[in-house]
Amino acid sequence: MSFILRRISTTKTGKQIIRDQALPGDAITLGREGSNVIHIADLAVNPHHATITSADGRHVRVQASEGLGFDINGRTVDAADVDSAAGAELRFGGHRLTIAREGDNIILLVERIDELSQSSKDVDEAKAFSLAGVMPGKRVGAWTFGILMLLAFLVGPIWAWYSYKNVDERPEGYHADTAWLSGPLSSAHANLKNDCQSCHVEPFVAVTDKACVGCHTGEHKAMSTAHANAPAAMLLAARHPPGIGEKVLAGFAKTFNRPQGRCVDCHTEHEGAGPMPATPQKFCADCHDGMSARLLDAGFKSTVADAADFGTSHPEFRPLVRAAPGAKPVRTTLTKGVVDYNGLKFPHDIHLQATGGVARMAASFRGRYDFGNKLECENCHRVESDGVRVKPVEMERDCAMCHSLAFETVGGVTRTLRHGEPDQVVADLTAYYRSTPPSRPLQLGGMERRRPGAYAEGQVYNIYFREVAVRPNRAEDAVRAVFSKGGACYDCHTIFAPQAGKSWRVMAVDQTPRFLQKGWFDHDAHKETDCADCHTAAPGSKQATDFLVPGVRQCRDCHVGESGARVVKVKTATESPCAMCHEYHSDGGKPWMPARQRKVNAAAITNKPLGAIYGVSMVTGSQGRGLYDVTWRTPALHGARRGG
Amino acid sequence: MASLFQRRRSKATQTERVRERRHEGFLRYANFRWAKISGGLCLLIIVSYALIDVTPRHNGGSWYGYTLGTIGAGLILWLTALGYRKRKMTSDYWSLKAWTSAHVYLGLSLIIIGTWHTGFQLGWNVHTLAWALMILVILSGLYGVIVYATLPAALSNNRDEMTQMQMLEAIRAFDRQLHAAAQPLTPEDTAPVLAALDEDPFAGGIGARLSGRYPRCATAAALRTLGMSRSSDAEAREKVIGLLSQKEAALARLRKHLRIRALLEIWLYVHVPLTFALIAALSAHIISVFFYW
Repeated sequence: MSFILRRISTTKTGKQIIRDQALPGDAITLGREGSNVIHIADLAVNPHHATITSADGRHVRVQASEGLGFDINGRTVDAADVDSAAGAELRFGGHRLTIAREGDNIILLVERIDELSQSSKDVDEAKAFSLAGVMPGKRVGAWTFGILMLLAFLVGPIWAWYSYKNVDERPEGYHADTAWLSGPLSSAHANLKNDCQSCHVEPFVAVTDKACVGCHTGEHKAMSTAHANAPAAMLLAARHPPGIGEKVLAGFAKTFNRPQGRCVDCHTEHEGAGPMPATPQKFCADCHDGMSARLLDAGFKSTVADAADFGTSHPEFRPLVRAAPGAKPVRTTLTKGVVDYNGLKFPHDIHLQATGGVARMAASFRGRYDFGNKLECENCHRVESDGVRVKPVEMERDCAMCHSLAFETVGGVTRTLRHGEPDQVVADLTAYYRSTPPSRPLQLGGMERRRPGAYAEGQVYNIYFREVAVRPNRAEDAVRAVFSKGGACYDCHTIFAPQAGKSWRVMAVDQTPRFLQKGWFDHDAHKETDCADCHTAAPGSKQATDFLVPGVRQCRDCHVGESGARVVKVKTATESPCAMCHEYHSDGGKPWMPARQRKVNAAAITNKPLGAIYGVSMVTGSQGRGLYDVTWRTPALHGARRGG
Repeated sequence: MASLFQRRRSKATQTERVRERRHEGFLRYANFRWAKISGGLCLLIIVSYALIDVTPRHNGGSWYGYTLGTIGAGLILWLTALGYRKRKMTSDYWSLKAWTSAHVYLGLSLIIIGTWHTGFQLGWNVHTLAWALMILVILSGLYGVIVYATLPAALSNNRDEMTQMQMLEAIRAFDRQLHAAAQPLTPEDTAPVLAALDEDPFAGGIGARLSGRYPRCATAAALRTLGMSRSSDAEAREKVIGLLSQKEAALARLRKHLRIRALLEIWLYVHVPLTFALIAALSAHIISVFFYW
């Protein structure tokens, strides 16, 4: 029996050269030091690492010395008994010791199996020197990110849409399609922000008007009414000719199935939280500038004149007037000589004179009413409580201070004729003459004995008793007098004399509450201006039919276009976009404007007393005037009503 | 006629020669042609944005917004195509240099196109996500352009006319010498040497690659330990210490090389994956617009 050390070396061509060397002795030492029988130049091997012995020439005992063991079958041990016939593989550091048997000899094969050092290992240059070795691949990253994006922002939102497809209202919570929200909704729609489907009903179908009128039930109709019940085609034809940009947009719209003329064309959403922005002039002028020609081209007839800018291009007003007594009110262009028959007779000039009977009478009532030295407009014309329009004149409230209808005083109470009821007037006067004797002459008084002859024609008795006899018939004269020239009714009203079966009639009075139907004039906003500054014709007007509403020219004394355009010289210009007076939807309300642009109700500092509507703010009327006393209160706290 | 051609050709070769002499890179290509085109485009967009009155206000949904968006989306796809183009060798038409030059400058102009397309309305949504990804891609690209312009010189200086494999081979040589020289050492002295041999020169994560700091370097540790050790034969130990410090220097050169290469490459690991994330987000953005039209 002997130990044979076998070495295998590999040539460059891959050929293996096996050299066997018989080892002397029974105990073979193995270690890094040169004195060992088997010398392994491996730093991982101890100088004297192990001793290999065999007692029977078949079984081999390997005993480690110096603490470091060796590996056999994957386990680290200090000693091992190996049947050389069965063979074994032991590992010392980076070397492998294979024990085998050939004939009588025990073959010890020693090979280096580990690289000398880590750096000696083969490397893939392209990978090792670049980041590819330490980073996940770019392709992996690209796919991962791409798929994540598509899942989170495409599949998720579409799934959210799909799962609530036929649901009226989505439940609270997160919905993946809110990631598509392109901008905050306006404050009015803020509660819809989780429910995209409330407007975006069908995929790839642009938001329809149906989605809007589902909630906004009235507006659509109002909009149509305001625009002459115009169909969408007419509204579209009215728009200004498209520029390059709009042509591009129209191209997009046409290509991608986005019909025009929908509510959302103007009412754009996702433009940021907050109230609706003020309507700029361009919004209106885009259509109304040169519109009638375009409408004609498209086969429609325009019912309004073109307008582009209040300062330079605005048609004359068309107030609602009655051209003849009792005629139907028609919107008529305001020109010199336009008349409005409201059924009354009223010379403004006499009433507004600084001297003369009217002024003197007014002055005599100072202290009892809010009269000054003469009559002012506001003594008779009262403004509605909202401050916008002027109330229709009411006889009892606005005229009766001077134009009394009193005809008798009974025990300190004044009896008056009933205004507005001619039959009652006739009845009251008849009853009055029937129930009261004529005043008794002095000669008939006392206890004095009456002499004969006093009954003779032309004498006191005769006159008196004849008067008593005919007195009831006098009523007819009085009635006639009241309704005839010089009488109380005739002064102000047009009277129709009795005709077959009909008694005295008074022509109906129609006071138009709003002359300018399409525009909006706010008297409250103009309270610092004298009435006559705009109603210039009033002080000289001799007829009630004179139309005293000012025209566009008077407005332009102060109001200029949105950007300041003007045709006349203006001292203090007020930039006036269309929406200052016009309301798109014409729902009867004031034109809307953002809160911060509303006029602040601050008292203006002026030299003259506020002679206008709000000059008076007290309970007026004396206590002793009787039936016609009118108690009315001018609303003094407008600011509070509007919320400061 | 022939002379005309000749002159033209000689002029062309002359231009080519000048270019080569000045080493005209993709940044200076054709005397900054694409920088001028892209700058002009940006200027046009900024000025027209200010002049064009879009109601109610600028946003991606106005005609101007659609136009910019279409240009931007097309540009993004074309810029992405550089990844394809650079793998295809062509001899005619666009040189890769021209293509890269256009890629860089038009890519930068996308900052203006994309941002102006938004109308400066940004929010937490897929639309802004696409914009943000686009900006990240552009910024990473910008970083790439800067490091391509500045780092290759440092890379070259560090290499000292060695190839990468030569650097590695040097380390291997020192390892072999170390292995031999360390044989006489005591086991306690061989352990750190063995650890140094066992150290992978390419070890360390992305952090180590980018920073170039290897605080647990086994070679440095072995140097320290052997410097203090008194157990082995002093002469053998001195030899090993000498070899270890030589290996450390070779390792430092290799690591600096790796660091510069990492700095040169890292932007692509942002640029490329984010580009595909951007294309996905862009698709979601476009589809969402039409889905909720």
